[in-house]
Amino acid sequence: MANVTVFCFLASYSVALVVELLRLQKQSPTRFLGGYAFAAAGFLAHTLFLWNQGRASELPPLLSSSRDWTLVLAWLVVGFYLFVITFDRQVSIGVFLLPLVLALVAASYFVVSTPNDALLTARHGWTMLHAASLAIGMAGVLAGIVLSLMYLLQHRRLRHKYSGADGLRLPSLERLSRINWWSVMVSVPLLTLGMGSGLVLKMIGSAESLSLADPVIVVNGISWLSLTGVFGWMLLTPRATGKQVAWRTLLACAFLLLTVVSLLVLPQIGLESGHGGVVLHDDCLICRGDTL
Amino acid sequence: MKLQVIYCNHQTARLDVRERLAFTSDDQLAEAYTQFRGSFPGSEAVVLSTCNRVELYTAQDDEGGAPGHVELAEFFSRFHGIPIEEFFGDLLTHNGPDAVRHLFRVCSSIDSMVLGEPQIVSQVKNAYRRSEENQACGPLTNALFQGAIRVSKRVRSETRLAEGRVSIASVAVGEFARGIFDRFDDKTVLVIGAGEMAEETLRYLQDDGVREVLVINRDPQRAEVLAREWGGSGYGMEQLHDLLGRADVVVSATGADQPIVDAEMFRRARRGNSDQPVFVLDLGAPRDISPDVAEIDDNVFLYDVDDLQATCERNRKLRSREIERALGIIDEESDRFMQEVYHRATGPIVKRLREQWLEVSEQELERLRTKLGHLEEEDMGQVEQTIQRIVNKLLHPPLETLRNEAREGTPHGLLEALRRLFHIHD
Repeated sequence: MANVTVFCFLASYSVALVVELLRLQKQSPTRFLGGYAFAAAGFLAHTLFLWNQGRASELPPLLSSSRDWTLVLAWLVVGFYLFVITFDRQVSIGVFLLPLVLALVAASYFVVSTPNDALLTARHGWTMLHAASLAIGMAGVLAGIVLSLMYLLQHRRLRHKYSGADGLRLPSLERLSRINWWSVMVSVPLLTLGMGSGLVLKMIGSAESLSLADPVIVVNGISWLSLTGVFGWMLLTPRATGKQVAWRTLLACAFLLLTVVSLLVLPQIGLESGHGGVVLHDDCLICRGDTL
Repeated sequence: MKLQVIYCNHQTARLDVRERLAFTSDDQLAEAYTQFRGSFPGSEAVVLSTCNRVELYTAQDDEGGAPGHVELAEFFSRFHGIPIEEFFGDLLTHNGPDAVRHLFRVCSSIDSMVLGEPQIVSQVKNAYRRSEENQACGPLTNALFQGAIRVSKRVRSETRLAEGRVSIASVAVGEFARGIFDRFDDKTVLVIGAGEMAEETLRYLQDDGVREVLVINRDPQRAEVLAREWGGSGYGMEQLHDLLGRADVVVSATGADQPIVDAEMFRRARRGNSDQPVFVLDLGAPRDISPDVAEIDDNVFLYDVDDLQATCERNRKLRSREIERALGIIDEESDRFMQEVYHRATGPIVKRLREQWLEVSEQELERLRTKLGHLEEEDMGQVEQTIQRIVNKLLHPPLETLRNEAREGTPHGLLEALRRLFHIHD
């Protein structure tokens, strides 16, 4: 159990993705069970790894480091994938979700992996709220991206009179649209809560005044605003459906994801910000878990 | 005897060609039969015109006087007023056994876009009935079409071709409408037309949970009757614009010879509703919905019968074993049918020969009765039976040879020899 490494579940998820791709060629119970087994095995290894990490740092994985936070996010996505294919074994959602999972696991190598010493002095409740709401909110953002992509692909196929001949089984536009709506409805309030709690942490934990000119705050704020704009529009537009919704959600979610991933990864490769240092947000776990 | 078919179908010709060659109404068909009889008085004819095919079957005893495929193509050209070069390349023709096999395949739905679909049998029956009503049928086409209906029954009962999605409507709804909508119980379905295809579509949609059904037809009473059957409401064509705007699913299957819904009408109907997806299924040939309706906005999903081709082809591949079994039955039945036809061609000669010999035997018996008047009734009966047996035994070898020869085709040489040898005259 203690020997579980990132490579274990990365390899399992890779095989599961290959099986999912093979299912595009031909659907068969064997292939489904093979893919499911590899994904489930990876999920188990992933869970054990996070458990071990938490025990080693004596902190929940969400708080132990940015790397673990990223891995928790990937873990949530895999859980969602397993949940969906348990109830609908025909749907080809793995083709969209598993590459994201692999990307997140791979990205975790580039983010801070050291335990967060500062958490010992931080208010545990606030940091937990901050990290958890951001993680679940980001999982919703990832779902929004995948669902929007699936919607646009399904829309294109239907407009061009293709059915499921290529083996790619997608849910109906109506279902994709409905789940997409819920993913935005859930993720935006959670992200708002996460960002709000981050600001509270900043105010509590730092003697310095909060600068709204901080590029991290500006970039995060813009991406959050764009997603909140989509949220408001979807909430106010009765029966908001269609390609336009999918495009808006995709762009807003992708922008937010890109922002967060950049803020996670760029400091590790030493990119300087115009703020006089690396692009860091001292109080944000996603950006800098070890300096909170 | 010449039996042939000239045709185009969904595999050989595009929809725009088929819809120009189609016979869309009973009146048009009646006029076609009248003109055909005028042009080819000795020929029997049956026209089969559906959304997927236009076929003309002809049969004539006198092979020399039968029209060839070029003459039949010219007939199409004259009747529809289309230059022959615009469609001649899309026409195919079969003669004799191949023509029989073709009809048997068509009627058994092997040749259909949707393998195993049941509508084709009633379409073939209707085509045959219309031909009878217009006095265009004859003994050969009667036998051919009755044979085709019998073979289709056998194929359906002995194979599994008719299992699964077996109608164009079911393929369209199953493959495409379900890609758009998750459920149908909260959708409004508008059916334009009250024919068999409309009914079949409604049957399938109701199985999928549709509750609100609107039926529109030129004859509102007919629409009302169909709608009532499916728990919906019937309307006349004047309501089309209003109802188009309300529908989530539009299925059109009328016999109109030009589009009844154009882009402008659809755009006006969708005003204020253009963010909602609408599934439009045009099962008409000629098409009922103008193709540019699909361009109105991104949420209009329009499909016509040709758009379903790829899906149907995939279903066909999955059932290749059943197709092989069905083709085996069709080959066997086609051979049997042709033997019967050939055998029937020898019938008049056989009958005449038998009559001639019996006539001779009767004359001889009469002469014997006069000469041997003292014979008892019982003895005379024995003599009659003996002579009858001699006639039958003498007739048996030539008739058996004739029957054997007729298995491969009409034995013209042998028939001619019998005529000359025994002085048989028509």
